[in-house]
Amino acid sequence: MTGLLLSGFDLVTSLLATTAGAGAVTPANFWMPEGASIQAPRVDFAFDLINWINYVFFALIVIVMVWFCIRYRQRGKNVEFAPGPIHNTTLEVTWTVIPTLILIGIFFMGFTGYLDLYTPPKNSYDIKVTAQQWSWEFEYPNGAKSTDELVVPAGRPVRLVMRSKDVLHSLFIPDFRVKQDLVPGRYTYLWFESNAINDPDDPSDFRWLFCTEYCGKSHWNMNVQVKVFDDEAFETWTKDQARWLDMIDDQDLYFMAGPKLYARCVTCHSLDGSDGSGPSWGPRGGLGDLWARVTNGTGKVDGGRKSDGGKTLADYIGNGKLYGTAEDYIRNSIYDPGALLVSGFGNQMPTFEGQLNDRAIDALIGMMQHLDEFNADGTFKDQERVNAALARIEANKAAASQASMGVTEPAETETSD
Amino acid sequence: MTTIDTPRAGDIAGNPPVGGTGPVDNYLTWTKGALSWIFTLDHKRIGVMYLTGVLVSFLVGGLFALIVRTELIAPGKTFIEPETYNMFFTLHGAVMVFLVIIPSIPASLGNFVLPVMLGAKDVAFPRLNLFSFHLWMIGALFTVLALLLGGFDTGWTFYTPYSTKTDMGGVVPVLFGVFILGFSSIFTGLNFIVTVHKMRPPGMTWFRMPLFLWAIYATALIQILATPVLAITLMLVGLERAFQIGIFDAAMGGDPVLFQHFFWFYSHPAVYIMILPAMGIISDLIAVHSHRHIFGYSFIAYSSVAIAIFSFLVWGHHMFTSGQSALLNTIFSAITFSVAVPSAIKVFNWLATLYKGSIALNTPMLYALGFIFLFTIGGLTGIYLGTLNVDVHLHDTYFVVAHFHYVMMGSALIGFIGGLHHWWPKMFGRMYNETAGRIGFVLVFIGFNVTFFTQFMLGSQGMPRRYYDYKPEFEIYHLISTIGSYIMAAGFFLTAIYLLHSLFRGARAPANPWGGRSLEWQCTSPPPHDNFKVTPSVGDCYDFSVVRWSEEEHGYVIDRSKETDSSSGEGSGH
Repeated sequence: MTGLLLSGFDLVTSLLATTAGAGAVTPANFWMPEGASIQAPRVDFAFDLINWINYVFFALIVIVMVWFCIRYRQRGKNVEFAPGPIHNTTLEVTWTVIPTLILIGIFFMGFTGYLDLYTPPKNSYDIKVTAQQWSWEFEYPNGAKSTDELVVPAGRPVRLVMRSKDVLHSLFIPDFRVKQDLVPGRYTYLWFESNAINDPDDPSDFRWLFCTEYCGKSHWNMNVQVKVFDDEAFETWTKDQARWLDMIDDQDLYFMAGPKLYARCVTCHSLDGSDGSGPSWGPRGGLGDLWARVTNGTGKVDGGRKSDGGKTLADYIGNGKLYGTAEDYIRNSIYDPGALLVSGFGNQMPTFEGQLNDRAIDALIGMMQHLDEFNADGTFKDQERVNAALARIEANKAAASQASMGVTEPAETETSD
Repeated sequence: MTTIDTPRAGDIAGNPPVGGTGPVDNYLTWTKGALSWIFTLDHKRIGVMYLTGVLVSFLVGGLFALIVRTELIAPGKTFIEPETYNMFFTLHGAVMVFLVIIPSIPASLGNFVLPVMLGAKDVAFPRLNLFSFHLWMIGALFTVLALLLGGFDTGWTFYTPYSTKTDMGGVVPVLFGVFILGFSSIFTGLNFIVTVHKMRPPGMTWFRMPLFLWAIYATALIQILATPVLAITLMLVGLERAFQIGIFDAAMGGDPVLFQHFFWFYSHPAVYIMILPAMGIISDLIAVHSHRHIFGYSFIAYSSVAIAIFSFLVWGHHMFTSGQSALLNTIFSAITFSVAVPSAIKVFNWLATLYKGSIALNTPMLYALGFIFLFTIGGLTGIYLGTLNVDVHLHDTYFVVAHFHYVMMGSALIGFIGGLHHWWPKMFGRMYNETAGRIGFVLVFIGFNVTFFTQFMLGSQGMPRRYYDYKPEFEIYHLISTIGSYIMAAGFFLTAIYLLHSLFRGARAPANPWGGRSLEWQCTSPPPHDNFKVTPSVGDCYDFSVVRWSEEEHGYVIDRSKETDSSSGEGSGH
């Protein structure tokens, strides 16, 4: 009998959920944020149903409690003793059985909803996700990588294949109602599908992705933006993303690529001289900014795997020393951060070897060399040069597509495969 | 029996009060000097020392909470750095769980009340009891040491591999401290189980025990069965940190999720170590202050044991998004719902007890009613989290934070504070200012709801927990929540003041100020060193028909002429 009851219950649930899922976005309400995935309406339905059941039970309990307390209030100190029932099997069995049945129904609703929420369709689009303290990296089938935003195609099931390089993390997109821990040493999966298209040209049009498993000092800052693009915009974006560094002219590299790459560094390294989990790139300790500290050799060093006891960078940089040039030191500090430790900081930084290529390192070094040309938030001050560089990038892109048109047609289908 | 006149309270204890000024001799004045306390074998003194320790820890843990809430009052940095913030929420959790809530009711109130309720002279193993307390002190000192050695920022859950990798110096000391606290808890549980089995007085069958004893007994079962697992787990984390043995570290072939299984295998039952004794207190408070036989005694007693058993089978519901298999998630979700039923039964029984009672809204009763209100919210919000697809959205957000504060603080701690007010006159022989008590309750109750109800919205809107800073859309909720925490702090501050004041200036407490019927109300306030000279005989401890107000005593007395017939009549009701 319960089985019948449950399947009926489940039918109603899925019916209501399907109806609600017609629009791309369900509006935010008192409890829930906007629902922007096709799975959201079903989660919200379960939430709302439990809400209403709870409102009824809570009101019932509180009303009865307050009413009894007023009605049977003791007046004076004497106990007016009116022997009432101390036991009633029928009543007690009733208030055991009714909640039990309701709870069984809610369990099945959650269970079936969960299976749908976690079983990706076969034709899903895979994106590889790598988390580390404290950044995300998203890798697309065409080799494109993104670290400052997760862009996904609209109207297609997207499956995230996720791993962690260090400690536990958890990927949470509130508007999609999905969440999954990332565990070092194993792959975990998550899927969603969204029709809530964002405008590629509007930087304020996005949804949040949070890390929800405590992972250390900058856990709170491990947030990136999620954007849903229509097919055309998505294809353009992945293509550009795969070759974006190559589309920038060399002289524009440090201010066009620098800030974008720096978005991964900002969780620990500020530009304004205030220290975070790592030393600031800006002026600190009266020794000037990072580039000055490195080139003058005044930066203080304390320990590290390759340390020989030297106390300043001058002991390590120069002819015949550990690093020949300042650039060498920076490059190695990004690939092998534990080699030398700046005074006052532990071995916190993960390696970025395999994530930042030579060109990316060049861009970052360029940014360090021209720090005075940047605002404290990492944006470039001279908008005119940015505009000129953007024009050159567009020209480079056009030339690149022209060149690839005839020869590498299949590359496009590979992207959308 | 019937030939005895109504005795004055002190007669049973063998220490007649002199001229209404209170007993000449009691456990507080029995011997003097610091050493007579530190090495006492008297369960009452040990209970009072635990109480002091727990309340001091509560003050410290509360200050940590205020630091956390103040930092969150507005977006951006308010006054501390992220590392400091992470350390304070960790300390708040660790202190409140291991030093405050777990020992609060069993070790402090339980120690004081349990033997007296049984009409016994002491617990079964007084020396073991003292040893538990000394272990508690050592464990607490290690926590302080951890703070001095650089603190720790792992969260109170010590999740690996972060806890084996973080370079903060306090991790190992605090692991060791919690390890020791665990043994304190195990020994207390062991002591209580033996005491309940072997030292019940003639006439007190299992189903005539006050429900507080059932709750303490069920709790003790969990304490001795679950806590060793915590001890082993924390030892493994310590070893992993020291020697890299590769149990939890994936890089060495270990499994980080294994830690979560071990940890919650203890820590979920630990939730019931916290809440079950509070439920026991509430059962007794509701009955005594409404002067009404508890409704459905055996259902409440059985539901305590049922909760204790189920509590071992639901740990996986903390791990629905951890990567454990869908099959395990489904099983754990199903069993989780089954725990909800005995909890609901208790609430309905408490309500039915109020029916046709003679309800005195004293401070302890206000806390008991507040408990029902808050526990209902805490319990009902657990349904969202037990429901698999809804939990995926809510897990590790402020919704969870709000939910467990409603259960652990709004229920367990409020139950403890209610019990403290209930037995305060018995423990110290003084009455506190009733008006101040009621105002204190109102402040705490309002402050609590303002602080934590807001966090339900915060969480369902998507705000993750353990975040130092947040997006602007969450600002208003955080602001309200922080204001609520200040109101609550004011309430607790007031409570501390009037309780301390009562110790010196409070009116002398009668033996039975509330009209209680269990044995602790039949010895003087405060009780003499030996509790009872003669083992008292026991009637139905929920039969209030024999309780009568005495102007002369300024308290309630048991009208023994009525006792014999009514106790047999009421006692056969189950």
